[in-house]
Amino acid sequence: MATQDFRAQQSANKGKTYFLLASMGLLTGLVAYAALTYFGAGTSTFMVPLAVGISLIGVWGSYYGSDKLVLKMTGAKVIQREDNPELFNVIEEVVIASGLPMPKVAIVVDSAPNAFATGRDPDHALIAFTTRILEIMDRDELQGVIAHEMSHVGNRDTLVSAVAATTAGAIAILSDFLMRMMWFGGGRRDRDSNANPVLLVLSLVVLILAPIAATLLKSAISRRRESLADATAVSFTRNPAGLRKALEVLAADSTVVHQKSNAVAHIWIESPLDGKAVSKMFSTHPPIQERIATLRAMESLGN
Amino acid sequence: MEIIIALAVVGLLVLFFIAQYNRLIRLNISVDESFAQIEVQLKRRSDLIPNLVETVKGYAKHEQGTFDAVVTARAKATTASTVADVAAADGMLTQALRGLLAVAEAYPDLKASSNFLSLQEELSTTENKVAFARQFYNDNVRNLNTAVKTIPTSFFAGFAKVSEREFYEVEDPQSRNAPKVTF
Repeated sequence: MATQDFRAQQSANKGKTYFLLASMGLLTGLVAYAALTYFGAGTSTFMVPLAVGISLIGVWGSYYGSDKLVLKMTGAKVIQREDNPELFNVIEEVVIASGLPMPKVAIVVDSAPNAFATGRDPDHALIAFTTRILEIMDRDELQGVIAHEMSHVGNRDTLVSAVAATTAGAIAILSDFLMRMMWFGGGRRDRDSNANPVLLVLSLVVLILAPIAATLLKSAISRRRESLADATAVSFTRNPAGLRKALEVLAADSTVVHQKSNAVAHIWIESPLDGKAVSKMFSTHPPIQERIATLRAMESLGN
Repeated sequence: MEIIIALAVVGLLVLFFIAQYNRLIRLNISVDESFAQIEVQLKRRSDLIPNLVETVKGYAKHEQGTFDAVVTARAKATTASTVADVAAADGMLTQALRGLLAVAEAYPDLKASSNFLSLQEELSTTENKVAFARQFYNDNVRNLNTAVKTIPTSFFAGFAKVSEREFYEVEDPQSRNAPKVTF
């Protein structure tokens, strides 16, 4: 694991994403099955599509308009080439290396160094930087950060996280509905007496635990996409040292961006919530020291 | 029933053939596009040179040899057309420009002038863009050549009139030799 080049890293992280997304699908199936066992066909054929529908509508809107929505939520201002020609030069370099279209560029006035990428597809991509990150990073470091953000664009991570959020959302809504029905509706409506009691208890356990499991899977997917973006960034710049130094600068800096909204925490290159993350399993980013170590291993391979 | 199955199999085969054919064509087009990107960036660099030479000349009149090297290399680069020729001219010009910037090191007034500083930024970003455009081109050539040589796409290469392409390799003595370390 420690001595892998960026190509091996990329395919490993992609494979793990597919595995996690498949687990997410499996979990949804399991919850639907539990609902079916516990509440019978009548209730679940109505509830399952409803939960998926609500979640889909909620997530789809924020996915489709992600570039504009995130601008609003973070207070980022879109800038033109004249505003910062040197930044645009570095971005154009990475754009050429990646073969992606030129994204929109935005600045967030903030005293913490950070950056993020969003947008529903590469043609609607937006990358944003805080004013502080532009002050403290040299050209190589900034190139690494831009490459990491362009990797999110190229890997379609807004879509991946939208899919993860939709399933996790549907599971949460479904479990919430069913729990309420249990407390207030007096339990199973269309009770057929030949249901296996063990299966009933198991279904209940699944319904209670599924939302937590879904959140864990969603965080795990986010962490995989961060590692993947680091590896893809190296495939663009062939310079792991630039991104590694940038991450070291971010790790050494203890200030965090002011908007600590949970809703947009996962999109920054360094998680603004990491300081108080309950545990590694719920974190949206891999530990920064681990990311540094992986990049250092790539440096020793000479690519 | 048998007819439906037979039709389905034929239909799937046709879809498979189309997918392989299109993949090869797409890879071939991305090689063309990425080569065009190299040329765009080389042109940009070439356009920067007269201005740069004039600026350096203003401070360092006695370095005619260096200026000549840059001007000749630039002339060669503008006439090249095949991948190998473009790559060779590109390497020569990169060398000559390095010489020019090394000359500039010896003139503090020049190095401090704002005109030179902005030209230097333009030149260094263009050098990076050229380098990344080369890398992207070579990645595309690598993907195409792999597809042309591996099954199943290799069966369709002749039919799609797609063949292996040339890598863009720059003759750069400095990157061949190990750097000299002096203490």
